[in-house]
Amino acid sequence: MTYRRSGPRDRTARQRDRVRSTTAHVTGLALMFISGGMLLSAVVEYVDGTSGTALLLAAVVTAVLGTMLWRSTRPGVLDHATIFTAVGTTWLVASAFGALPYLFAGTFAVAGRPWAVVLADALFESISGYSCTGSTVFGGHNLIGDQGSGVLLYRQLTQWAGGMGIVVLVVTVLPSLRASGLGLIDAEAPGMGVDRLAPRVRDTATRFWKLYAGLTALIAFGLLAAGMGPFDAIAHALTTASTGGFSTRDASIGHWDSLGVELVLVVAMVLGAANFTLHWRSLSLKRVVHFRDHEFRGYLAILGLGTLLVTGMLTMDGMGIGRALRMAVFNVVTLGTSSGFGNATGAESSGDFVRWAAGPQMILLFLMVFGGCTGSTAGGVKVMRLRVGMADAYRTLRAFRRPRALYPVWQGARTVPEAIVARIAGFMVVYGMLVVVGTMVVTALGTDLVTAVGGVIGALGNMGPALGEVGPTDSFVDGFSTPARMVLAVLMLVGRLEIFPMLLMLVAPYRSLRGAGRGGRS
Amino acid sequence: MIRTVLAGLRPTTVPGLRWSSRVTAGALALVAAAGMFSVLATASGLADLLGNGDDTVLLVTLGGLAGLASSIGFTRIRSAQRIRDADVLGGVTLCLLILIVMVGALHLLIGTTGSFVDALADATAGLTTTALGVLSPDAGDHAGRFLRAGSQWIGGFGALMVAVAILPFFGAEREFADRSRLGGRRPLAPNRRTAVRNIVYLHGVVSVGTWVGFTLAGLGAFDALMVAMATVSTGGMVDGDPFASPAVQYVAIIGMAVTGTSLVVLWRLVVGRSRGLLRSVELRVYLGLLVLGTALFLLWTGGSGPDGIRRAAFTVTAAVTTTGFPSAPSGTWAAAAPVLLLGLVSIGPMTGSTGGGFQIMRHRALLQIALREMVRQLHPRVVSRVRLGGRVVAESTLSQIVVVQFLVVSVVFATATMVAAMGLDLATALGVAVHAISTGGPVRALDGSLLDPTDWSAPVRLAILPAMVIGRLSIYPVMVAASSTVSVVRHRVRLRRRIRAYRGRTR
Repeated sequence: MTYRRSGPRDRTARQRDRVRSTTAHVTGLALMFISGGMLLSAVVEYVDGTSGTALLLAAVVTAVLGTMLWRSTRPGVLDHATIFTAVGTTWLVASAFGALPYLFAGTFAVAGRPWAVVLADALFESISGYSCTGSTVFGGHNLIGDQGSGVLLYRQLTQWAGGMGIVVLVVTVLPSLRASGLGLIDAEAPGMGVDRLAPRVRDTATRFWKLYAGLTALIAFGLLAAGMGPFDAIAHALTTASTGGFSTRDASIGHWDSLGVELVLVVAMVLGAANFTLHWRSLSLKRVVHFRDHEFRGYLAILGLGTLLVTGMLTMDGMGIGRALRMAVFNVVTLGTSSGFGNATGAESSGDFVRWAAGPQMILLFLMVFGGCTGSTAGGVKVMRLRVGMADAYRTLRAFRRPRALYPVWQGARTVPEAIVARIAGFMVVYGMLVVVGTMVVTALGTDLVTAVGGVIGALGNMGPALGEVGPTDSFVDGFSTPARMVLAVLMLVGRLEIFPMLLMLVAPYRSLRGAGRGGRS
Repeated sequence: MIRTVLAGLRPTTVPGLRWSSRVTAGALALVAAAGMFSVLATASGLADLLGNGDDTVLLVTLGGLAGLASSIGFTRIRSAQRIRDADVLGGVTLCLLILIVMVGALHLLIGTTGSFVDALADATAGLTTTALGVLSPDAGDHAGRFLRAGSQWIGGFGALMVAVAILPFFGAEREFADRSRLGGRRPLAPNRRTAVRNIVYLHGVVSVGTWVGFTLAGLGAFDALMVAMATVSTGGMVDGDPFASPAVQYVAIIGMAVTGTSLVVLWRLVVGRSRGLLRSVELRVYLGLLVLGTALFLLWTGGSGPDGIRRAAFTVTAAVTTTGFPSAPSGTWAAAAPVLLLGLVSIGPMTGSTGGGFQIMRHRALLQIALREMVRQLHPRVVSRVRLGGRVVAESTLSQIVVVQFLVVSVVFATATMVAAMGLDLATALGVAVHAISTGGPVRALDGSLLDPTDWSAPVRLAILPAMVIGRLSIYPVMVAASSTVSVVRHRVRLRRRIRAYRGRTR
């Protein structure tokens, strides 16, 4: 029997046997990555002395299925429809498999709860993690503090992975995606266009991850210095860099009631919600370039003005000025950056903003709509879109006075192309419609108006807490019915992917079905 | 330095020559406001003869003087050769503001109220047809009652003029005007003069028809007139409870539904070109909103039977058309019921009616813009047009509609924040802001109970007035007037240059 080493022709033949499907290929790889997080959490669980079998089982199932999917497929044609399908499906499938650790560990299997509700809660928590929303179904009957270290770490890791983007992760390691990877990255976070940090897409993605990891490490050191324990510091660093907001404590940051911790987090959240391109440029040029960016200046202005107004209103309501300033700074920044941490030490405490007067709550609602900067881990409509929208409104009014004049939209020293202005206008129209329809649906499912509006805007903007019945100290189980929570979960994914990928993800499969018989293109 | 600055603020008119476009528009606004005030005051004075007649002399005298001033003023205007579109819109805004102040002053003079804030708030609520009034004239105070109803009727008529005869001819939403003579049609608004004539004709017919309907339903002639004026204008401010009778409610439902229909549809019914009307998507959506809204409201309030259907239809029609007639809640309201009413108020009726809200045609335009944007995500180079009512809508019009949405949301947020800071709770603040800009009252609590604006503080009542004015004039005129004013002041004052010049002279 002769042995012959496999050559290029054999490899090509093996590749030809694989199904061409970019969606399945990217999804498979994403599942393999998230299984890594499950495995790490299982190890921590074992080290902690509790049984990590559930997490290990979830990791194995996810890894095996992911590997099978990856190995049996190869990337296909990357048109726009396919890109949206790939991104949307990856996130959907990753979020669904992300619920396995909670299901296998019986985290939400409280006595007397139907299995459908347990499944829904696990899905909700997983989606809230990967979308970096930070809304939780823990609380009351099922405390965060009662969970093992592995489950807690896994929860934090879901937000860290979701913060930079699962697809960015995939593009970093998949050479076969090459230049078209920029389309995938752009589809995951569409906006004004992704700035290339390097000529090659893969290097751009790698640099984003380096920045992200570096920021995470810096935050962890800062929290350690402020007095948090090592596990809590690392865990909170993961969800601060991703502006996610999950905490390892039921009272969130209020558990420590420490000005030092809050200050570190405020600075970290502001950095996390700023454009990462600015961070890279500052590091490359070895000087701070942030303040030359108009969007960043506008973002700081919104946070500053919001803080001033909220401080004033809280002081007029009888809170001491020092306390009011501290509460205002933390809560304005946490909601303005879509992080969602809370510094309430308990219900009815001064940090529980749903107990504040209506005026400060309206300011917070405004902040929840607009979120952070483009090119960051923050959610919301984004400051750049607000600026362009305002500029567009102003030039339309000017055009009434001089109908034949041409008024471009300026951002700093550059004009914004009309195609981008139209895209932003279309985005804001769709966003507004989703808020209205989402609110109607959630109220039809039994939620009051204020809680529904806060929940829908919070879900679309990936904020975390809502208003009304569900504030920083409350669980989403108390304020929303199970179907309403599922609606919010869908909105979280829609918001994380900035609407269009999730709304358009079915176009490519629909076309494939219509043109069935032309081969395995998807 | 102050004298230098003030010198720049004097208007540029030279005696003997034509006035500038801006000054002409301002003068015409003043004259028009005085003319409408004259009609309203005189009519109120004559109406007072049906009661004790205490205010007749005062009202008729004031009306006469205003009419005289208006006539003399009109003849003295040296109109510019061409009035710019922006100045026309600014003039419309100025006319409404002047009229509000005049009507408010009238309320104070005849003693309907002794509070300036209440007088201003009620005058604004009437002229903007918002149904958030704060006054309750006595049943015997015919002057006060007619003044309230009359100001609503004038406000509704003015809104029709703005929507059909002004905005489409002066740069906004041109495609929504009915100007085409295709297929041998007689259009509603082929030109401005014909548009005004046809609007007066149609609005008059609908008003008289509604009056007759209420009289036949059992109301006294004067009461029927008051309710008819509030119905036809979608004003909704009535005295007492005229809707206790089912017959009156049915007439009100029909009257409101007709008033919320586009004037173009009514015109085509009148001129006998009704074939194919039901193919109009906007009309079908409007009727669908009324039917579906009634069904959902019935479901979410536990209503049943003919009485329940009638009450639900009355409440829903009042919301969709932004009339806002008060109706006490019955049954147990689910959380979705007040939200449904809030949503219907913000959607509004058909474009080209007296109703407020964002209106159905604009919602359709937004939906098509959203769909087009999603297509562009897949095919960035596609050339795609938006069609409404069978006509291609210009990109400038689409851009205006998107900007209107942005401005509406901004005004709602700003108003809600202000009133929330002044003491209202979050749900009420949001409801008040939406109702104010949609010009549709009343505001309801989460359990469906009616909230009384007289319970709100004076600052709250003042804070919502700008939103009412902005909403009634469909945003553009107010915003254009505001931006023009800012531009004029900046240009005239040229503060930085004057400060530099002053510093240069004093060194």
